[in-house]
Amino acid sequence: MTDKVIEQEKRAFLTGNEVVAWAALAAEADIMYGYPITPQNEIMHYWTRLAPRYNKTFLQTEDELSAGFTTVGGVLAGRKAFTATAGPGNTLMQEPISMAEMLRLPIVVVIQQRGGPSTATVIYSQQEVTMTTIGGNGEGMRVVYSTSSHQELFDYTIKAFNVAWKYRFPTFVLGDGYQAKMREPLTLYDPESRGIELIKPEPYVGKEGTPGLDRPPAQYRNTYSMEEELYEKLTDYMKDYNDMAPAVAEYQESNVEDAELVIIGHGIVFRAVKAAVDNLRERGIKVGYFRPVTLRPLPVPQIKELFSSKKKVLVVESAFGQLARLLKEAAYGSTAEMLTLFKPGVGITSEEVEAEVEKILA
Amino acid sequence: MSERIVEAYTGEYAGGKSENALNRALELAGLGRKVTLVDFDIVEPVYTLRPIQEELIALGITVIAWKTKETMGLGEAGTTLKPSAKWALWHQGDIILDIGYGVEGVKTLNLLEGADADPDLKVIAVINISRPMTATVADIVEQVRETGRIDGLLNNTHLSDETTAAVVQEGARVVTEAARLLELPVVATAAMAKIAQEIGPVDCMGNPVRALTRFMQKAFW
Repeated sequence: MTDKVIEQEKRAFLTGNEVVAWAALAAEADIMYGYPITPQNEIMHYWTRLAPRYNKTFLQTEDELSAGFTTVGGVLAGRKAFTATAGPGNTLMQEPISMAEMLRLPIVVVIQQRGGPSTATVIYSQQEVTMTTIGGNGEGMRVVYSTSSHQELFDYTIKAFNVAWKYRFPTFVLGDGYQAKMREPLTLYDPESRGIELIKPEPYVGKEGTPGLDRPPAQYRNTYSMEEELYEKLTDYMKDYNDMAPAVAEYQESNVEDAELVIIGHGIVFRAVKAAVDNLRERGIKVGYFRPVTLRPLPVPQIKELFSSKKKVLVVESAFGQLARLLKEAAYGSTAEMLTLFKPGVGITSEEVEAEVEKILA
Repeated sequence: MSERIVEAYTGEYAGGKSENALNRALELAGLGRKVTLVDFDIVEPVYTLRPIQEELIALGITVIAWKTKETMGLGEAGTTLKPSAKWALWHQGDIILDIGYGVEGVKTLNLLEGADADPDLKVIAVINISRPMTATVADIVEQVRETGRIDGLLNNTHLSDETTAAVVQEGARVVTEAARLLELPVVATAAMAKIAQEIGPVDCMGNPVRALTRFMQKAFW
């Protein structure tokens, strides 16, 4: 019998990586698998410091391929299992993640983006958007939450486990090296005290009873001999994914209605976008913002509406257009002009966003 | 009693070690003392003195720290100690060391020449009870006992911009009780200048109050 991880709500001062470890405990995760990589290391450090207190376990594997596949194994055994990685680790993990897509396994993966390509920097970027949303071979049947604060890291890590186990698609919390290392206050809470029901995991294999008599056989395949078998399977999966999308897609917008320019950003960059919009509005400049919280599935109807009703949008990201590419696909056929402020691998300040807006609206 | 002040700041990750170390160095320099501030943290390469050393030097102290461009593979291949940091205790005047967090941080002191025999060295654990790992008396006592050599505690309880005097005073109560059980002194309570002023020269437990100016938010990588 373990105690509640968080007895009563309280404000606390934490780094983002620690927040993820506390959130996974609050979500009643059973086990973390992982391999060290900056900037996600303290997720592992704090999970391993905290896990024994709550009767949880941890396995350090030999690399990220193995960390991903053991997470798959943990889920098959009916455990709420998760892993965390970044950059080249995320690259290696695409193979086990695509296996989880094929088997419909609710693995939870936390990504703290770092500079790329390759080893690049350990610091920060938004360059793992393409890989996290649609990486691997397959169709990108995943859920990806892009957080922008420590409170959201806590909230969405808890949510990620529930959404994964409800819909059975691999689910990601997409942070970055800034969120990983920076420190800010947040409220830690027990999800059930706020009426959030935690979905219980169940085993895929080793179930009670006799297959074919008491229950259907547990047959999970990531290998098919016939094209038609695969086609039928993926058609069903994509229908499930598309049916799920409206319930899962999340976004935030403000001051859009009368805006001459709408600024779009996700993750930590959204904080600069929001601050810029607040400052510019105070000066009477008509700008608004739109922020996709889920990068997969995207809030497609809202993006289409935005790109159809506005003349101009400005996409701001710490990458060479990885969010912009997703938006273009969602907005296909709409008429808005897409302007961009791309700074791959470096942070973006509200002052830079304001200066760009002033140039555009001059 | 020796005039020389030698202090090493450690404690839990993100507890405020560097901020307190550099503020202490500036406080002593403000009294006209000769001060050397040393980046002795080879545990975690983010939020160290490296990026702000020029600013600190301009404020009248000597700083021993790598420049980031002199390093290679930070966060990837580990951090090496700057050779001159090893000999920091040979400097004249006061020596303030910013050492890494936790057990590994304190262990690093074995790389400091003369540390085992220095009569003035005090190892101070900086504690913020808003951090869940050091939230209660029991947590603090357990963690300080595990850390190795600690000569005093410093209450650095805060909630960033949300800090109030009440938050700091609650920290003072908890840290002082932990110190009593550990039979260690509380060297100070630290708070942002405005809140330090509100509290006054001593906190509710009689510990001296140090006013902090924030530098470390600029010290990312």
